[in-house]
Amino acid sequence: MKSARSTVVVLCAVTALILAVLYGPILMAIVTAFVPMRGGVFQWDQVSIVAFESINGDIVDALKLTLIVGFVASTIALAISTGIALYCAPGAGLGRKFIEFLIFLPFVMPPIITGLALLISFREADVPRSLLTVLVGHVTILLAIAYRTIVTRLREMGASLVEASLDLGASRLQTFWWVVLPNLRPALMASFVLCFALSFDETMVTLLLTGGQSTFPVRLWGMMRLGFSPSISALVVYILAVSTVLSLFLIRLFVPARSKAVA
Amino acid sequence: MGHPQVNFRKTPELGSAREARLINSLVVIAYILPIALILGPFCIFFVVSFGRVEASAVVIDFNLSNYVRILADSTVRMVIGRTLVIGIATALVCTLVGFPAAYLMKILGPTRRSLLMVAFAVPLLMSYVIKIYTVRNLLGTNGVINHFLMASGLVSQPLEFFTLSYYGVFLTLTSVLLPFAVFPIFLSLDRIPASLVEAAADLGASRTRIFWTVIFPLSLSGVAVSLTFTFVLAIGDFITPELVGGPNGFTLGRIIFSQFGLGFNWPFGAALSIFMMMIVTVALALATRIRPPGKVTF
Repeated sequence: MKSARSTVVVLCAVTALILAVLYGPILMAIVTAFVPMRGGVFQWDQVSIVAFESINGDIVDALKLTLIVGFVASTIALAISTGIALYCAPGAGLGRKFIEFLIFLPFVMPPIITGLALLISFREADVPRSLLTVLVGHVTILLAIAYRTIVTRLREMGASLVEASLDLGASRLQTFWWVVLPNLRPALMASFVLCFALSFDETMVTLLLTGGQSTFPVRLWGMMRLGFSPSISALVVYILAVSTVLSLFLIRLFVPARSKAVA
Repeated sequence: MGHPQVNFRKTPELGSAREARLINSLVVIAYILPIALILGPFCIFFVVSFGRVEASAVVIDFNLSNYVRILADSTVRMVIGRTLVIGIATALVCTLVGFPAAYLMKILGPTRRSLLMVAFAVPLLMSYVIKIYTVRNLLGTNGVINHFLMASGLVSQPLEFFTLSYYGVFLTLTSVLLPFAVFPIFLSLDRIPASLVEAAADLGASRTRIFWTVIFPLSLSGVAVSLTFTFVLAIGDFITPELVGGPNGFTLGRIIFSQFGLGFNWPFGAALSIFMMMIVTVALALATRIRPPGKVTF
């Protein structure tokens, strides 16, 4: 069914409005990265890239730390949730439903609650806040996403492939390695990218669980409470570039098969 | 002729002891980790909410005073009320505005659709703090918006709506959470079989009628997800109110956060969090009631 022309115009107008709201502030920040602002007025005669040079080593260190945390947390979350998904994929039984409920709980509840629950538990257990506690927090948050992607793929696969492999005499380990894992690969890749993106941006849980070293979002949080700074605007430029690449990649991973079936 | 069979039988036998151990450890992982990482902390959290602070240490003596305070303290009640208003307003605005965008995404051709998806996904993947920072740049009494409005002579006083206050929190949350509304609604629209729409059209239904009797009811699952996503994220946030709320824009998330920082009253913060969990649970329960009338399966 083709939509009426007037409908399309209205839809386009609303969408344009949303995009303006989404991108307006970002573009504004990008402009301020190059053009200094004084008293709410752009100084167009002072265009420079000074802001980019003012990004100090602290931020780069925080960025590195965030990348490491993201990589390690995503890998651990993926490994754990693959194990749990293999066990829970059949879906029958109260125990399995209960595990699923637990895994989804931190995803459904606001992150501040998961963060605080972990914070209090670490304190009760006398575990000092450090990068390790941040890592545990990230894994907890990421489990739901990783599990969901993997278990969906496992259920799509169905039992017949595994049964065929076992009937042909492969051991369970061999079946896992040669049949299940290759079939899971797209799902694993997709959920790794998704987990990494989420971990990279995770602020609330990190803020509550972090010790001395601060990750990138936490560092930004600290900078921003102090107020406006051109080096943050310069960072916006970098972050926009990275997230554009990341979202192109993600959409490629998740969408291609479906988008062809357009009415 | 029996030789290959012997070999085949042997492999699983050899592997079986190792495999049994592997499968057992899988079961252990499946149970222990979620319990240790999620159930345990949530239980401890719940227990702490019945404690109190004495000489800067948390004493757990199972009293209800924290919960009584939530209900009795008029400031806390007001903040909770305002948080709910912000959450509901954000969810409604995001969903109402997000629906047309999702619908456009659905009817566009593959290339334009992918472009639009990327356009919505980029802000979603951008650092959350950075996004709020960029919005904050525009808000405030001396912010870009008010500055522009004053300079252009449209208003003589800075508009309160664009200051760092409750309004600022609402505006920021709405703009940041919009993609969370668009994607679930798009997914539900995308799942509607074209045959249903074609059937309705063949039977002579007008476009308006097709929309309201076929498409809209079948998209309700996505609408429900959009409403709950945006509502839960809005009421649970403490970063946005902390950065754009100004001195008075307190929300539930922000008070909870302050109990674990300067306020140092963990039990009260825990009780407030449990209260927040109850609100979220009620919201989720309500959302499951949003669904098309009758049973639809395809």
